[in-house]
Amino acid sequence: MDRALRRRLESRFGQRLIGPVRQRHDETEIRIAPGVVPEVLTALHDEPELGFEFLADLAGVDTGLVMQVAYHLWSATTPDWLRVVADGLSREDPRVPSVTFLWPGAEWMEREAYDMFGITFEGNRDLRRIYMPPDYTSFPLRKDFYLPDDAARSPGGGVRHVERTHAPRNAEADQLVRRTKAG
Amino acid sequence: MTTTRDPDTEPVVADRPPGGQPYRVEAHESADDPRVTLEQDVGVFEPVPPFPPRTEREAEFYTLADGEMLINMGPQHPSTHGVLRIVLKLNGEQVVDLDPVLGYLHRGVEKLSENADYHQTISQLDPLEYVSALFCEWPAVMAYEKLLDVQVPRRAEYIRVLSTELLRVASHALFMGWMALDLGGLTPILYSFIERDEIVEMLGALTGARMLFNYMRIGGVNGDLNHDFMSRLGDWMSRAAAQHDANTQLLNENEIFVRRMRGLGTIDRETALRMCWTGPNLRATGVPFDLRRAHPYSVFPELDFDIPTRSEGDCLARYLLRVDEVKQSLRIIDQCLHQMPDGPIMAKMPRLLRPRPGRAYAAIESPRGEYGAYAISDGTDQPFRLRIHDPSFIHLESVGLLMPGHLVADTMAVMASLDPIMGGVDK
Amino acid sequence: MTTMSRAWGRLTLPGKIVFTLVPLLAVLTIGLVVLLVLVGPLALQFLSDNLPLVRFVVAATAVLLMTVPTAFLIIYMEMKVIALMNLRLGPDRVGPYGSLLSVVHGLKVLMKEDFTPTGADPLVFTLAPVVVYMASVMSLVVIPFAPGLFGQDFNVALLYFFAMGGLSVVGLLMAGWASFNKYSLLGGLRSAAQIVSYEIPLTLSVVGLMLLYGTMSINQIVLGQSGSVLDWNIFKQPLGALIFFIAAAAEANRTPFDLTEADSEIVAGFATEYSGMRFGFFFFAEYVNVFIVSALTVSLFFGGWTAPFQWPFPVPVALDPGSLGIWLLILVLVVPVVGTLLFATPFWLARSSTPGWQALALGFVVFNLVAIAAVLGLLFISFDWVVGLVWFMLKTYVFVFTFVWMRGTLPRVRIDQLMGFAWKWLLPAALLNLFVTAAAIVVLGSR
Repeated sequence: MDRALRRRLESRFGQRLIGPVRQRHDETEIRIAPGVVPEVLTALHDEPELGFEFLADLAGVDTGLVMQVAYHLWSATTPDWLRVVADGLSREDPRVPSVTFLWPGAEWMEREAYDMFGITFEGNRDLRRIYMPPDYTSFPLRKDFYLPDDAARSPGGGVRHVERTHAPRNAEADQLVRRTKAG
Repeated sequence: MTTTRDPDTEPVVADRPPGGQPYRVEAHESADDPRVTLEQDVGVFEPVPPFPPRTEREAEFYTLADGEMLINMGPQHPSTHGVLRIVLKLNGEQVVDLDPVLGYLHRGVEKLSENADYHQTISQLDPLEYVSALFCEWPAVMAYEKLLDVQVPRRAEYIRVLSTELLRVASHALFMGWMALDLGGLTPILYSFIERDEIVEMLGALTGARMLFNYMRIGGVNGDLNHDFMSRLGDWMSRAAAQHDANTQLLNENEIFVRRMRGLGTIDRETALRMCWTGPNLRATGVPFDLRRAHPYSVFPELDFDIPTRSEGDCLARYLLRVDEVKQSLRIIDQCLHQMPDGPIMAKMPRLLRPRPGRAYAAIESPRGEYGAYAISDGTDQPFRLRIHDPSFIHLESVGLLMPGHLVADTMAVMASLDPIMGGVDK
Repeated sequence: MTTMSRAWGRLTLPGKIVFTLVPLLAVLTIGLVVLLVLVGPLALQFLSDNLPLVRFVVAATAVLLMTVPTAFLIIYMEMKVIALMNLRLGPDRVGPYGSLLSVVHGLKVLMKEDFTPTGADPLVFTLAPVVVYMASVMSLVVIPFAPGLFGQDFNVALLYFFAMGGLSVVGLLMAGWASFNKYSLLGGLRSAAQIVSYEIPLTLSVVGLMLLYGTMSINQIVLGQSGSVLDWNIFKQPLGALIFFIAAAAEANRTPFDLTEADSEIVAGFATEYSGMRFGFFFFAEYVNVFIVSALTVSLFFGGWTAPFQWPFPVPVALDPGSLGIWLLILVLVVPVVGTLLFATPFWLARSSTPGWQALALGFVVFNLVAIAAVLGLLFISFDWVVGLVWFMLKTYVFVFTFVWMRGTLPRVRIDQLMGFAWKWLLPAALLNLFVTAAAIVVLGSR
């Protein structure tokens, strides 16, 4: 736990932080609104007393209530990991500015978060699905994701197509769901 | 196939093969995905997606200038290191641009982990980087230990360091073989496999498995050092350095190999940092960033080893850096054996783990770079969210940055020099 | 009629085949005899008038028949030698030490499905392997295997050889184009660029030899090197030999110049879409080419079929078996029996537990081995062409081994390095070699 870092962060970002700076083990966590992500991360990256030049990880999180994006940063100025959480994205239309202007390498991590959570990163020029097929319709790591539902809903070929052809011709929609669940 | 098309107005129209059926995509309604359009014909032999471009970048990539063609490398290709598909845009033999298409090995590890309890997730993580599986288990285990506030016994930490450093040697040895194989050299891969096999057999004696170890436990490791392991290790250590030198000599002094690698896929340190590179690939650009020193974990502060760096940042530097790293790993293994303390190998843990709600991030230095795990606990016995950060994924992204201007033959060389493991890339 | 059809119906499949073939063969034989009686003298007259034609047809057939075992041998050699270099076992199941594996590969290739991909040009697709294989077989015709043992002794044999080498490009390009596959196309174009570029240093490197000998006949060049090792052209034209060997490796698409079928880059190059025996033709042609370039290197620079040294003591073999008369018959009757008993004795004496029949069997085997060795030795001493053939094959397989060795050791070069090497290094070196040779001839005033 780096107390000095905590003081530096509080003095530098004061108003922009949502809630207190949390520290546990070798991690320091700050929470910010999604709108100020570019500003805060640019400051963290550029200012020499902070100097967080490594983006260690970018993760989407669905808490069940809101969506979050967690950035893990590393700096030579502190022995801690810094976790910046962009908090309070709406679950209906989660949007957050992209950090690819700062770290072009975050492009695929943002694509992955988009693929898994449906979080739109504004400014990412290649925001398409990366793991799931392009005609996939839902976002698997969301907490409301339910596989058989999704399988019945998604169009396209492959296994789902086979399932559809084997379904009884005049089946109700809920029968279809149960059938795919069993198979 | 028409050579140029305007993505906004013209639909993708390709020549039908004689007698072949056009590929037709049905329309569907969906709220959250770009629409797939109606009634379009796409030649089955063209790697053009059967729908209009979804992003700016995709539109740019699938628009061909005069004299350019698209070629599909993979998913069935002799040397894509797993199941990777790369769409190459070529001008003659020269690569203009490329678009890696992932997802062929996607297992949904993060989703699986959310539905397994803390112990079970460890075995789910093994097949990520299947050539160095212990490195996938460790960060998650470390993150769980932080969530649970567990102090790992020192002997367990030493055993973890010993086994992972052995695996690092094996992984780098395999890298060298693959590198040569992708350049057309048949022999070094088999020499590498001999070295790797010895290590893997050794770890088999320690952990019970040769590839997917499932050895790390929350609070320690699964088994103590045994006689079989130690005798194999001693036997191997007595000749490891000489064997390693002999294997690398085959390539280091090979004129064709060096000439092909030098100046290929060069990246400067600033770009590498911006591309989020870590590990040997970053150190080959001159940044001495090694998490074992930069963010010390386990017992690495007690161990004496150097961080080799190189300033060129090309494929040859990345190769030679790994050669140097193996020597440092051998040093660490030697010190581990001399400093190995006595004591328990597991902390006292309850049967059922219910960490209190919280978040933890842990990262280690894997043979490919920073391997991270971000775990969120909600107080139940299953992780609420487990995020795996895989270095192969990050490095593979940069192939598109390194390749333009080089030749088709170099695609494989550049990819091999970044050493991606598709199991980890696709998760 | 019903009797016949019922009998036919009872026959098994082999029976049906045999009962169809036997009358057919009988009719054909009778027809042939009648034909011979009718036009035999005329045909004989025609053949004796056109002996070169006959010679050519016979030579081409012999050479064609020779290619398959040669390819089998080199494939097996490659598998085994590279395996040993890789610290593997290699083939060890089919036949002694796996030596029949390449034969089994050949059979497998024959039995596999032979399909043409959708969109391919069927005619060109089918013709391409034929062209490639024909080109290699045709260039084999001019190689002198031994004194008097060659297909044709052209005055322009070298030129003919290079022309045939150039012809194989056409086949590869046809394969690349007709496959309707971009990898094939890349492979075909690579091979065209590569072989056309390397033809030039390859041809220029032997122009020095042509100046020295004043002929392009390979046979004449080989004859010019008879004597001892020091008469070989490698000592007169070392640079030319080096250039020739490198360019020939590129010409035969061997590692490190095997870009046309670089498996880690363009899958299998021009052969990507080929399967079955069509692929087999490409595969065989590659190994026949290895043999050909080795043979040509040996013929041009390493003395061909000439022995590297003279037999130190002359063996007067005046033994004409015909002069023995009746004694020959007695010899043939007595020697095997006596020999077998002679060789069986030590086995019988050595261990008392060895049964007599085993000792006899062993003695018989040993006797046969000795007899075969003796007969071969006699042939070797008596006939020039046997000596020549043995030396030629020995030298050639040394070079084949070198090609295999290179394949086991070297990685592949890149296409720009390949072309740069041909145009920036090999071509000037070949020109330098030519210039020095010409200057030396002018200065010394003789060949």
